[in-house]
Parts: sequence; C-alpha cells; structure tokens
Amino acid sequence: MKENGFRGFFKKLYKYRVFLLMLAPAVIYTLIFSYYPMTGIVTAFKKYNYAGGIWGSPWNGLENFKFFFKSGQAALVIRNTVLYNLLFIAVNTVTQIAVAVFLTELSNKYYRKITQSLMFLPYFISWVIVGVMAFNIFSSDYGFINRIITYFGGEKISFYTTPQVWPLILLFFSVWKGIGYGSVMYLAALMGIDTSIYDSAKIDGANVFQRIFYVTIPMIMPTTIILLLLAVGGIFKGNFDMFYNLVGNNGLLYNYTDVIDTLTFRALISSNNFGMSAAIGLFQSVLCFITVLIVNKLVGMYDKDYTLF
Amino acid sequence: MGKITKKSLSAFLAAVMAAGTLAGCGSSNGTSSSASSSNNSETTAAGGASKVDTSQHVDLTMYLIGERTPDFDEVYGKINEILEKKLNCSLSVEFLSWGEHDAKYSLLFSSQADFDLIFTASSWCHYEQTVALGGFYPLSEEFIQTYAPDIWKVVPQMAWDQAKIDGQIYMVPNYANEFGQDVMAVRGDLMKKYGFDDITSWDQLVAFYKACAADGIYASQGGPWFQYFQSKGLSITGGAPKGGELILYNTQNPDDMEFTYVPEWDGFRDYCIQMKELVDAGCWSRDVLNSTDERQVGLLTGKTAAMIWNLGSCATYAKQANKEHPEWNVTIVDPNKSMPKKVNSYINNGVAINANSKNKERAMMVLNEFYTNPEVYDLAMLGIEGKHWEAVGDDQYKVIDESGYGVSSNCNWGWNNMTIQRKEYIENRTALDDRIDELRDSFNANIKKDHVYDGFNFDSTKVSTQFAAVEAALGNYFDPLKNGLVDDVDKSIAEMKAALESAGIQDVLTELKRQAEQYAAEKQAK
Repeated sequence: MKENGFRGFFKKLYKYRVFLLMLAPAVIYTLIFSYYPMTGIVTAFKKYNYAGGIWGSPWNGLENFKFFFKSGQAALVIRNTVLYNLLFIAVNTVTQIAVAVFLTELSNKYYRKITQSLMFLPYFISWVIVGVMAFNIFSSDYGFINRIITYFGGEKISFYTTPQVWPLILLFFSVWKGIGYGSVMYLAALMGIDTSIYDSAKIDGANVFQRIFYVTIPMIMPTTIILLLLAVGGIFKGNFDMFYNLVGNNGLLYNYTDVIDTLTFRALISSNNFGMSAAIGLFQSVLCFITVLIVNKLVGMYDKDYTLF
Repeated sequence: MGKITKKSLSAFLAAVMAAGTLAGCGSSNGTSSSASSSNNSETTAAGGASKVDTSQHVDLTMYLIGERTPDFDEVYGKINEILEKKLNCSLSVEFLSWGEHDAKYSLLFSSQADFDLIFTASSWCHYEQTVALGGFYPLSEEFIQTYAPDIWKVVPQMAWDQAKIDGQIYMVPNYANEFGQDVMAVRGDLMKKYGFDDITSWDQLVAFYKACAADGIYASQGGPWFQYFQSKGLSITGGAPKGGELILYNTQNPDDMEFTYVPEWDGFRDYCIQMKELVDAGCWSRDVLNSTDERQVGLLTGKTAAMIWNLGSCATYAKQANKEHPEWNVTIVDPNKSMPKKVNSYINNGVAINANSKNKERAMMVLNEFYTNPEVYDLAMLGIEGKHWEAVGDDQYKVIDESGYGVSSNCNWGWNNMTIQRKEYIENRTALDDRIDELRDSFNANIKKDHVYDGFNFDSTKVSTQFAAVEAALGNYFDPLKNGLVDDVDKSIAEMKAALESAGIQDVLTELKRQAEQYAAEKQAK
C-alpha cells in the first residue's frame, strides 16, 4: 500500500502527530543553532562592512580566498595541518587505548582512581597556561631542561631557535593534555564488554596479553572507528589554541609549526577582515567534509556497521 | 543490541558537537539603521545651530581601553553630577581590557552594540580599520563647531588634517605634544662600571650593548630596530604593513619624498648583520620571540641593563626601579640625541562616535566637557581632589594617593589637552627628576620640521588581498631578522624578498605611492 501526494503526506502527519511533536524541540533547536548560523557563510563571499552587516555588504566573488594562496605559504600550512593532525590522531588513539586497557587491568582500586584523576588533570589546564609552562621548561636562560644540562656541565640547547624539535614537543603536549579525557571514552567501551568472555578465555588458557589482543581490542573496535571518524572530520583544522600558545610569534619555527589557523590569524588580525577569515573557515570546512565522506565510504567497504551514516 | 545503542549514542554525540561548534558563530542582524540616523543628525545640526536642545534626558555609554580602577566609579559619579546638571545626561563607561581589545573592538561594531563614544587611536587602536569598515560617524566641521565649539577652538587645524581619511574626519584627536622618539632607561651603576658618561649615538649604544654582554648581563629585550632607523632619520609609515615598519620615509628631510622599502634597503642588511653579531655575543636572550614579558620587566627584575620605550614610560619605570633598588641609580639616555625630535601625530589618541549611536549630538557635547572643562578634566585625569591629589597653585598638582585611581592611567588620553593639563609638583627632586626635565626641555627645544608624510596614513582597502598575503609572508622572516636570530642574513633577506614579491608587495607599494602623492598634492594645494 503506497500513498502519494499531499493527501498521503498529511495523513501520515496526522497519524504520527505524537511522535512528531516529541521530535519538534530537537528539530527546532538544530535549525536555530546549527542551520540558521550557517547562512553566515555568505560572509565569505562579501566585502564586509559594519553598516551593511552580513546581508547588506556588497558581494566580492572569490576575492576573499585569494590572499591565502597568494601568501606563498598555503601548501606548507596545509601540509603541516594535515600531518600534525594525522600524527596526533594516530598517537593519541594508541596511547589512549593503551591507558584504558592498562587501567582496567589494574587490580588496586585506589591506585587506579588516583592514576586516572591525575591523568585527567591536564585536560582542565588552558593552553595559555601550558604555553607558559612550556616556556619555563624550554627557555634557554631559565628553562628547567637547560638548567639541568648546564648543572652537569653540558652545552645549552636553544629550543626556540631549533624548529626540528617542535613536532615532538607539540606531540608531547597534545598527548599529555588529551590522554585522560580520551581514555574515558575507551574505558566506557571496555566496561561494556561481557566479563564471561574473559572468563572463558582464561579457562581456555589465554594469558594477559592474549586476552588484550584477542578479546579487548576487537571488542572496542566499533568505538575506536567512530572516534577516529570524528577526529578525521577536523583534519584540516589546526588546534589554534595549542599552536599559538606554544609557538607564539616565533617566525623561526614556522616552517615546522605553522598551521592554517595560525597563518590566517597572523594575516588578518591587524585588518579585522571578516570576509577573508570566513573564507578560510569555509575552505577548511569543505575540505573536512569531503574527507569525512571519503573515509566514511572506505570504512563502509570494510564493514557497513561501522560507518557514521 | 549493544552495537545499536553505541551507534546511536555516537550519532547523538556527533550532533551535539556539531551544534556546539556552530552555535559559536552567533548571529548579527545587519540593519540599515545607521543610514537613517545619520540623516537625522544632519538635519538637526543644520536646523538647530543657534541653540542646542538638551531638554530630553539621555543615557550615554562610552568604551575605554584598560582595566577599571577601584575608585573609577566614584570619580565618574562626580563627573556624572556635572554632566547631569549641565547637559541633562548621564554617562556609563565600559572597559575593553588590554588583552582583549584586539579581538573585541571590532565585535562591538559588527554586533551593532548600543554605545556612543569610544576611545580610538591611529595604528595601535583600530582607527583606520574601523573607518574602513564604516564603524565611526563622520564628523563634519559644522557638527564639531555646533556641538563642541570649545574643542574646535583648542585643537589645531593640523590635528584635524591628520585625522582625515579620504577628506573626512572620524575622530576628535587629543592635543598634547607626545614625542614618538623612544629613549632608554639604563642602569647608572653599570654605565659607570663600563666607563660610559652618557649614550648619545648609535655607536655608543652598540658599544654599551657589547660591554653588557661581556659582563654577562643582557642589555635589552631584543634588537634596537627603532633606534637604528631613527638614527638614520627615518620613520614608520602609518598604515603600512607590519605596523608601518616595512616601509619607511625620511622624516628629518622634508624635501625627500621617497619611501624606503626595508628589505631592499642596504641599511637593513647592515643592521641585521650587526644584530647577529650582538646576539651571538649574548646581548639579549635567544628566546625573545617567545617571551611574553612586557617591555619594563627586564629592567625591573634585573635581567637586563636597559629598557627602551617613550620618555614618559621610561620615566615611570626608572623611578620604580630606583625605589626598589636605589643602588642601581637608573637614569635615562637618548641614543639619538643629535636628531631633531618628531612629535607624535595627534591622532595617536582620540575619541570617536559610533555610527549607530542614537545621541551623537549629546555625545559630542559630553566630549566637549571632558576636553575643555577643567573641573571634568582634572577629575578624569587625576581623580578626586583631596582624596587622590591636591592642587598646587593653578596649574600643578601633588599626588596624595595613587592606589585607587592613578594619574593619567584611566584611558583619559583621548581628550589630552595640554592647554589645561596640570603638571606634577615634585617635592624632593632626585637626579633622575632633573634628567627627565632636561630631556623633555631639550626635546621641546628641538622639534623637527614638518614632513608632508607625517600626517599620511595608508588606506589598504584597495589592496586588501595583497596586504593580508604580505602580513602572512612576513611572519617567517621579519622578526627573526630584526632580532639577529637567523643563521644566514643574506639568504634570509633574499627569501623574504622573494616571498613578499609573490605575495604582491609591488601592488601595495604602487598603491601606497599613489595615495601618498595624492595626499601631498592636496596638502600643497592648501
């Protein structure tokens, strides 16, 4: 039985009125806070001025996108952004899963709770503070590391003029800050595993490592893949807070540390150009969107159940 | 079943996260109210020129830069009593802190916030950018004469000319001779130790820096770039990239109408090579680019032997250093002593009216009070008489207690007016006080000739793409070069030149020259 046209539509509307009413708040909320603001995207194609605002300003075509490619840094910062994100995603996922597994295997409850809380703490520290801490660790005059080196009679390392070490430093802080929060997701997934599977594994003679690799890891695969997909959705967005507070205005490090967001900030902070910043934001979002579609498709080819949509 | 709940949970999570990120975009309703209200004001200005109507009570809002001091509201309560009586209006003040004004200033305009007056300044406080985006109300001469006749009498024509962008005035500039020339506050004990009586030239400055390094103390917080090009008679060009530092002009020679594009200037190469030598010797920290210390921190904490800033700030911090460490005997030197001094353009501080203000006329009248009514002026600058300061004669003051308000530190600079400003009376004069007065007198006695470009401000809207690309490309090279931190000066300069070329610096230069020629031609026609 199939009904077409308006009549069918209204009939269904009436039939499911209670469900639709229940759905309404969520739909309205999403429309107002997610879809309506998206109309602001037009700013990317406008020569913005205060009098005209978002709608009244004159159109500007693709002019707003040009500065980014003209700066000569576009290829470099896109490369940096993607590589850093891939590195962060890979290392963070592995360390977070490792920590989650390690925590569940710990038998001492108090020790486990304390460890978990301590690892969670950095998540609450703002990047501004982390930037100051980093400066006090790596500074060549008063830095913690260089103090130790000179105490033992070594030669100082000038971290802030040596760009090559920065990928490692950035990775370290990314892992340190995200590990507590990230591992909670995996912990939740681990808690959902039926303990009888472990019991039968034990009876079959599996040792700790075999239990981890043949039971735990396969069981948390769905969670891992969904978290990975969400992370991949931001692959063209640099973590501005992190890069800006750790690297600041140090041009010597830019070849290794400049990401799309910091470049845009630097280029536009003095001119307050809303149109150009909106353009770069849109550019990043479109690239991210395409990436998510592709990766989602690839995951679907591996196992349909793991995809986002 | 377990899998399904997990999937729907993750979908929900994703939706919430997406909603969260997008909600940050906010929304602003671009209305065209500004156009209609500006029409209104023009008609009232023309119609009621003889007697201004203040029968209706209005509430005004003013935005200032900085932090609210503890006694600020008490002081402005007194000011409001006067405004209430005289102009039938009240004024509330909001602050944009030093840290956030870069980001929030433009948001005030884009969100159509309701306010009337706002502090502004050329180059360091958003004047040109806000004008370019249409945020300020253009002030016609007739409007100023009608609603602020006393300001019109005090402020010289030159100041109004400087405030003009495309022939229109958008701010009321302050009227005080501030010197753009930076000086140096130096540890007197170290100068004596290294055998310096005074530091009056670039060569002496370099020698002093080297002496500091040899003694194991940093000389300053970075390379003395401004001292260097000022010693060559050059000055920054208002509105040019990198806060004007990329393109210089010869301010000491009014006949020289050429611009110096820094990367192609031989002097820049010489400077960079000298800086590399100094940094290798240890004249300042290799971490300068990442240091967030304010300019005075090095001197006050004893990390550096000197600090570089304008005369007023050097005086303040030299006094503070001497109070905390009398044995340092901090004094002030002028490394460019022989150079005639450039007076900062008057638009270095000022106040503008919001284009969306509903009470532009009353706002202008309030500004007139701040600017020219001695009672209001003293309150805003010094605080409450008897509590914060006491009068010495008609034109001097003595500080009683600076902790609650602070002399001239409440963003009252927008209406600086040297014709009614009180001077400080100092009871127990020190050598440093004498030195400051001596320098100030020598500055005032040696003001340089006007250069046409002194009042010129580049408007980058026509080349905004190239301008943004240039700013982006500069970041990798300019600051490291200026502070001597690159390994190979020539290679780095060549790379910077190439990067700027492809970013379109030639378009910026051409447009800048065109505007400058037009500006000069208009000026000479007068």
